[in-house]
Amino acid sequence: MIGLLRTLLVQILAVSLLSVGSPLVVQAEVIGTLAGLESAQRDSDLARVNRVLATAEARDQLQALGVDQGQVDARLARLTDSELSTLADKLEQAPAGGDILAVIGVVFVVLLILEAVGVIDIFKKFP
Amino acid sequence: MGAVWIGVSRLLASVCAAFVLLVALAGCTVNPPRFEPEETAGLPAQAELTQVPFFPQKQYQCGPAALATVLRSSDAAGTPDDLVNEVYLPGRKGSLQVELVAAARMRDRVVYEVSRDLPSLLHQVAAGSPVLVMQNLGVKVIPIWHYAVVVGYDLDAGTLVLRSGTTERRVMGMRRFMSTWNRAQRWALVVLEPGQLPAGAQLDRYVAAAAGLEAVGRLAAAGQAYARAHEQWPDSAWPQLGLANVSYRRGDRQAAEGGYLATLALDPRNVVAHNNLAEILSDRGCVSQARAHAERAAALAKGTALEAAVAATAQHVAGATAADSGVSCPP
Repeated sequence: MIGLLRTLLVQILAVSLLSVGSPLVVQAEVIGTLAGLESAQRDSDLARVNRVLATAEARDQLQALGVDQGQVDARLARLTDSELSTLADKLEQAPAGGDILAVIGVVFVVLLILEAVGVIDIFKKFP
Repeated sequence: MGAVWIGVSRLLASVCAAFVLLVALAGCTVNPPRFEPEETAGLPAQAELTQVPFFPQKQYQCGPAALATVLRSSDAAGTPDDLVNEVYLPGRKGSLQVELVAAARMRDRVVYEVSRDLPSLLHQVAAGSPVLVMQNLGVKVIPIWHYAVVVGYDLDAGTLVLRSGTTERRVMGMRRFMSTWNRAQRWALVVLEPGQLPAGAQLDRYVAAAAGLEAVGRLAAAGQAYARAHEQWPDSAWPQLGLANVSYRRGDRQAAEGGYLATLALDPRNVVAHNNLAEILSDRGCVSQARAHAERAAALAKGTALEAAVAATAQHVAGATAADSGVSCPP
């Protein structure tokens, strides 16, 4: 809840900053190669990523998923702008490769049948 | 009631029998997938990278294990235990693709996305690079996401060899692999040292990988990768632009200026080169040239994601003052 409020507050502040038309919003600087490539590859109507906003959103989500507070910022700092915005917007849908030991109960039986028919492939640990 | 029950159980029994028969039949039909001759041209019939290390995964942690496998193969440091703190998400009991990419990049490795087809994957293995893949071992509605590393194949037998989970040498039919890989959008990557090109390197993907290094400040590695790309594709503007940007970020403005001019010689419509050149020129007092490049950039960036950044440059350039006549500006 506090996380949500904080995200909201950050968003409101960011929007209010934009409406002031402050020259600080987009700073004149050289453009990186990746931004150029991405803009050339997708004929994007995509706005450039607001890194501050995206970081705030992604930070809340990673913390909620149990990432150590001291590590969250370091983990986000190593992402490119577009990776960061994907993480902030679509973390819930993003596949997280994990393990097959978590499967239990009914799901297990269903999977066992699908496995036997050859539709899926998770129990081939014992050849 | 009893009769009904017997009926149901007989029905179940016959369904089971049919099922067993089906499985037996399915088990017999192992036919390797057919490739077009040009897809497998130059591929040896079998290959296996036996020297690729194996890190058996701990619970839920196939991401760190698979990543450590490919990192170690490219001479980068990283054990699964180190990597857990960098890529594991406890709440998801797994690891995200972007975080695996980021962790490899922080070790100065070029993370190259392999074309989403099996022959391209096999070519990487034949060239000596193990391939990190994502699989969905479940089904679409009950996904079970998994990372593994392809280290070998046999075209005649139609099989792949993977380091997977707790199995060091998992032999898997190509068809079976394909169905698990298809369900993960055929995501696959190789981790390369910056001076190394992947098999069948594609310019856009290789430069994107190098640009990822630049974007997170791994400038030495980015520079090496761009230099290799420039050697491979001398007519493309992108590696040249990358080299210029690396020079700029290292504070060598003179080299950067030359690099942007060289970029524009290859591609006069490169927005980034015009924009960045405008910045450099205005900072050293070549105001009229800077304005010309800023205007060109603004015209080319119209309607793209770079529009705002280019407009900011134009504003900056408009406020610049011309230097004394002693400064030598490009024509």
